[in-house]
Amino acid sequence: MTAPVIGFAGMTHLGVNSAAAAAARGYSTVWFDPDRAMVGRLESGEFPVVEPGLVELANTNRERISFTSDATALGRCAVVYIACDVPTDEQGDSDLSSVRRLIDTVSAGLARDAVLVVLCQVPPGFTRALDWPVAQRYYQVETLVFGSAVERALHPERFIVGCADPAVPLPGPYRGFLEAFGCPVLPMRYESAELAKIAINCCLVASVTVANTLAGLSERIGADWNEIVPALRLDRRIGHHAYLAPGLGLAGGNLERDLATVLRLAEETGSHVELVRASLADSRQRRDWPLRTLHQELLAGHPDAVVAVLGLSYKENTHSTKNSPSLALIRHLGPWPLRVHDPVVPARAAGHPRATGCATALEAATGADALAIMTPWPAYREVSPSDLRRVMRGRVILDPYRVLDGAAARAAGFDYFALGVPVLRAGEKATRA
Amino acid sequence: MLEHLNPAAAAPRRVVIIGAGGFVGGSIRARLESDGVATLALTRKEVDLLQAGAAAKLAGLLRPGDAVVLVSAVAPAKTVSVLMDNLRMAQAVCDAVAGLELSHLLYISSDAVYADDQNPVTEFSYCAPSTLHGMMHAARELMLKSATTAPIAFLRPTLVYGASDPHGGYGPNRFRRQAEKGEPITIFGEGEERRDHILVDDVAALAALILRHRSRGALNAVTGVSTSFHEIARMVASQAGGRVEVKSVPRPGPRPHLLHRFFDITQCHQAFPGFRFTPLAEGLAQSLRRK
Repeated sequence: MTAPVIGFAGMTHLGVNSAAAAAARGYSTVWFDPDRAMVGRLESGEFPVVEPGLVELANTNRERISFTSDATALGRCAVVYIACDVPTDEQGDSDLSSVRRLIDTVSAGLARDAVLVVLCQVPPGFTRALDWPVAQRYYQVETLVFGSAVERALHPERFIVGCADPAVPLPGPYRGFLEAFGCPVLPMRYESAELAKIAINCCLVASVTVANTLAGLSERIGADWNEIVPALRLDRRIGHHAYLAPGLGLAGGNLERDLATVLRLAEETGSHVELVRASLADSRQRRDWPLRTLHQELLAGHPDAVVAVLGLSYKENTHSTKNSPSLALIRHLGPWPLRVHDPVVPARAAGHPRATGCATALEAATGADALAIMTPWPAYREVSPSDLRRVMRGRVILDPYRVLDGAAARAAGFDYFALGVPVLRAGEKATRA
Repeated sequence: MLEHLNPAAAAPRRVVIIGAGGFVGGSIRARLESDGVATLALTRKEVDLLQAGAAAKLAGLLRPGDAVVLVSAVAPAKTVSVLMDNLRMAQAVCDAVAGLELSHLLYISSDAVYADDQNPVTEFSYCAPSTLHGMMHAARELMLKSATTAPIAFLRPTLVYGASDPHGGYGPNRFRRQAEKGEPITIFGEGEERRDHILVDDVAALAALILRHRSRGALNAVTGVSTSFHEIARMVASQAGGRVEVKSVPRPGPRPHLLHRFFDITQCHQAFPGFRFTPLAEGLAQSLRRK
């Protein structure tokens, strides 16, 4: 029997990575986007997103990939995924019109028995309300993680599939495609699957909130959160992969979207969701940690202080700046001259009138009074504190994610600030080796 | 939580200060005048907000396009009667500004509007006053909001100190007076409660910035540094030449439910990035010198 052709509509971060994984599993794939220019760029090997291994994966499986901006080309697909972006506003509320538009564009040309799978992030109730035969209409939870999207698309932990009736077996081509990934498939009703996606993110947010809360306390009472984390990971109720690294609040847009959806549903139904409100307040508070620290250590009374900012993307290994803590910091550093560097995001994204883009991290640090490492790009681990000491004018380093060796930074003469640990002051004796 | 309607600072055409004779009002007036801003300073002598006809009298003094600062209050409002007086004063102002096209309204409120048990307090903290004084300010904020369509800002100072403070409340002002008289500085218990204290000049400077930026929303006038009363007493004693003793006396009542109060001043950094608060030791020294 010939393997079914799998279509992907929407050449987004989600769409491209999911489609590349499908091709890598041996399926012929159709990569559709109504934007002809975008399709042209993909055909020439220019991808709209930065993900480790993505370009190589697509190149390796090129013969199973067909690019198109013609929706009728999806007519030969047995399964078609809808994978467009769902934009959110500043409150995290979704604009679903692009999903509906794409479904309208695609569904007109599909085969009569084609299965339509909504892969983008939609709120509970969305899939059931769609106009497509229920036996061929599904919602599948995506668990895209920026920076490791390829790995997760190739090796998912499980597939969560929303159906009209979970007791009815999935259509053969769709079931077969999912089984090719060798992981559990969990069918459930549409609303459960849509809420499962939100539940996963809420669990992640709860972990992050706990980590941030106690990391903040650690900074003030002499504890080191990094010493505590391994103890938590060895607790089987918490686990090795728990989100326990403190950070600068929620970013990227997806977690924020789900929290906004929970708040909206709670408002409509009267559910008690104080946990979500507390998480959002925590996120805001931690996001501004660098701003508070810079003011406290340097900026008050120093109108000419130069601040170097390393990293503009919201996390490493991605070009995305959605809700980036770095941009949130830069937005409020208006009066001060900045020197910025990011391996993939151009300096103009900083949107700061006095920002100078630099080719390297060390160049950005040159002449700076303070250095803030706002994105933990791997390349920044290679920067040595002694080199920083040589080129910087000032002695303040903010390293929220502990990219540098704090003890080495202190030994080099810096006051070193990181999340989850008290400040290490130059000249103060180390309390431990 | 402040939004600047003038992203680039610009002097208001005229600022009318209602309550310009008081501790905070006088400082705001002095600050604006030293900045070259045209002001109309109103004290109880010009308009007594508790007198009949106050609203009409005040309305007669206001012009369209004015920025108005309301700082007049009978404080602290510890009794129902004083609370009601304060609300009547605010009512007169509301009646006066209703229908008038003001360019801006700034109300000097208080951090007492926040619930007692919130730490650290931010502009996002819930307003749930636990005192009549806090309720007075919260009610006045709402009254003013309902009375005008002009952009409104609420500046919410915490404990304010300065040389010209007429009150002898527990803290820097009382400690300074005790030191000036050569008396022991008395602290309750161990004086371990930590509070945020702001120099009146800093409150005035923030008010001036809000007026120049025509900001709307709320901002706490707090320094972000909480210091124990014991530490403040030691600072004052040291600045007085070290001849003054710091003495512990029994607390007049039980230890306060809220032992420490902290503020997060991120919103101030975001609204006015170049603003620098006067450190407590520096502010206390200034207050001693001015006296």
